[in-house]
Amino acid sequence: MTRKITIEPVTRIEGHGKVTIHLDDKGNVDKARFHITQVRGFEKFCEGRLFWEMPVITPRICGICPVSHHLASAKAGDMILGVQLTPTAERLRRLIHMAQFVQSHALHFFYLASPDLLFGMDADPAKRNIMGLIAEMPEIAKKGVKIRAFAQKIIETLGDKRVHPNAAIPGGMNKALAPDKRDEILSQVDDIIADCQFAVDLIKDYCAQHSEEATSFASFGTGYLGLVDINGNVEYYDGKLRLKDSQGITLEDNVAPENYLSIVEEKVEDWSYLKFPYYKRLGYPAGIYRVGPLGRLNVADGCDTPLADEEFHNFKKLGNDGVVQASLYFHYARLIEMLNAAEKIKSLVQDELICSKEIWVNSSQINDEGIGVIEAPRGTLFHHYWVDRSGKMRKVNLIVATGHNNLAMNRAVYEVAREFIKDGKVTEGILNRVEVAIRCYDPCLSCSTHALGQMPLEITICESDGSIRQVLRS
Amino acid sequence: MRTLVLGIGNPILGDDGIGFHIVQELAKEIKDENIDVKDTSVNGLNLLGLIVGYDKLIVIDAIMTEDEKVGEIYRLKPRNSSETAWSTISLHHLNLATTIEIGERLFPKEMPGEVIIFAIGAQKVTEVTGEMTARVKEAIPRVINLVLEELSLKR
Repeated sequence: MTRKITIEPVTRIEGHGKVTIHLDDKGNVDKARFHITQVRGFEKFCEGRLFWEMPVITPRICGICPVSHHLASAKAGDMILGVQLTPTAERLRRLIHMAQFVQSHALHFFYLASPDLLFGMDADPAKRNIMGLIAEMPEIAKKGVKIRAFAQKIIETLGDKRVHPNAAIPGGMNKALAPDKRDEILSQVDDIIADCQFAVDLIKDYCAQHSEEATSFASFGTGYLGLVDINGNVEYYDGKLRLKDSQGITLEDNVAPENYLSIVEEKVEDWSYLKFPYYKRLGYPAGIYRVGPLGRLNVADGCDTPLADEEFHNFKKLGNDGVVQASLYFHYARLIEMLNAAEKIKSLVQDELICSKEIWVNSSQINDEGIGVIEAPRGTLFHHYWVDRSGKMRKVNLIVATGHNNLAMNRAVYEVAREFIKDGKVTEGILNRVEVAIRCYDPCLSCSTHALGQMPLEITICESDGSIRQVLRS
Repeated sequence: MRTLVLGIGNPILGDDGIGFHIVQELAKEIKDENIDVKDTSVNGLNLLGLIVGYDKLIVIDAIMTEDEKVGEIYRLKPRNSSETAWSTISLHHLNLATTIEIGERLFPKEMPGEVIIFAIGAQKVTEVTGEMTARVKEAIPRVINLVLEELSLKR
């Protein structure tokens, strides 16, 4: 007899999810599944649209990281046009991209994740949220609001809107940065860098004080994937793909993003609408890998800004300079990246070329394929378009960050369930911990399934015969 | 003194677009460097990021009332806004009054000292359309005058 546990709703995750835990005859966890139950169909309804339109259509996949889709689309468009960006256009794209990293990472840490850490995973859910944080730790909440407002303002400056900007076009950007706006960013950025350092210190202290839980909670070995620059530093906008295994051994390096299909394949399971990408050479599911902050920091050799680089090397020590495996360290890695992005904003706006008006190049060429790869806040994002001679979409393939992490999120739920369900006994606190484990991955489920909606979580526990034993709701 | 005139609403959700449409008109009338006129469709803590730093805030938004006074104009202060919800299920559903209350807790010195809300009674706010109800539309010139009066600006 197996029993099944389902967790729904997963609160404080963008999207919608449901967890089922299957027990074996002895009442121990047989398997755990994190189901994604919605479909939006962007790939399908983009067919027939012009590639020029894609940078304004695909950001609608998500309200948290629209800039990533916007830029990946524009990059795929650059390849269709066969053009090389001007130095200014590339810098402006990097600027809006880094602003999005700062706002998205700050949103996740301050609004969604920090209540779990600062109040504890077993704290009353009525308090364990941003409202509780505002009431009890206003100074911390304030920094979150401030960091986000700064970064959102940059997005608005470059793309006219805070949420779904319109800035990048195939071949470049549609608007230059005015010097007075540049000066405004420059006048505030040091303050924001200091706030990002505060956040890094906060998570560092947390990890030091809770080192046992941090290293053991939902910890397991996987491969890691991310972009790195020519010097092996963490790269967000361009660069080459690198993949390491769970021991930190580099399995793939210097892979041109256009060749992503040579290393990644996707599997479909009949119990989730979200596909399961895996590393081709190791097969499914052994080819499990993780992307996002943990993936990027694990594959890279450093960060290209001084403060973040120092923190990067501190972080690496957690994994004895190899790879860092535990899911909770995603938060730590995320905040180092936030610091890195804030420092990069500073160096971008200090660059004289940033205000040049050379922002666009056109061409009369239309190549039949375009691939745009970028690191979105949640991980590597692939936009792959096939167009006809007039530039109309024949086929669209999108692989988003949460998809890459799908196998790993399922594994994280499994690890937590195994710890909390033993010999038929379900220990209290499982619901919160399954939620916390999933939240480490910051899954934007609305993106990954291209689905729309809120995120509630329910755990169903099933007996070995498939009958439902218990349903837990948060 | 810096003032922000903020129209809240989504122009493709029928009467919800009233705040948006009014500030488009106001932006043509107001040419004072100490007054910013903006529209937005964000809410909650994102909205907070927009209003911090101003001395005075004038909000124009649609309102659904129980007695359905469509096109009626209400001049409100945050204190008489509908009851605030502190414990909320989702950050997507913070109302304006709660947002201002949170702002006052987090940024007591930087929040606008004066907040005035012009709320216009709406009928349809969920239908996807760029058209507003006739009675809501008729309120536009009156709201514009009220805002200009509030700013001590004459047409």
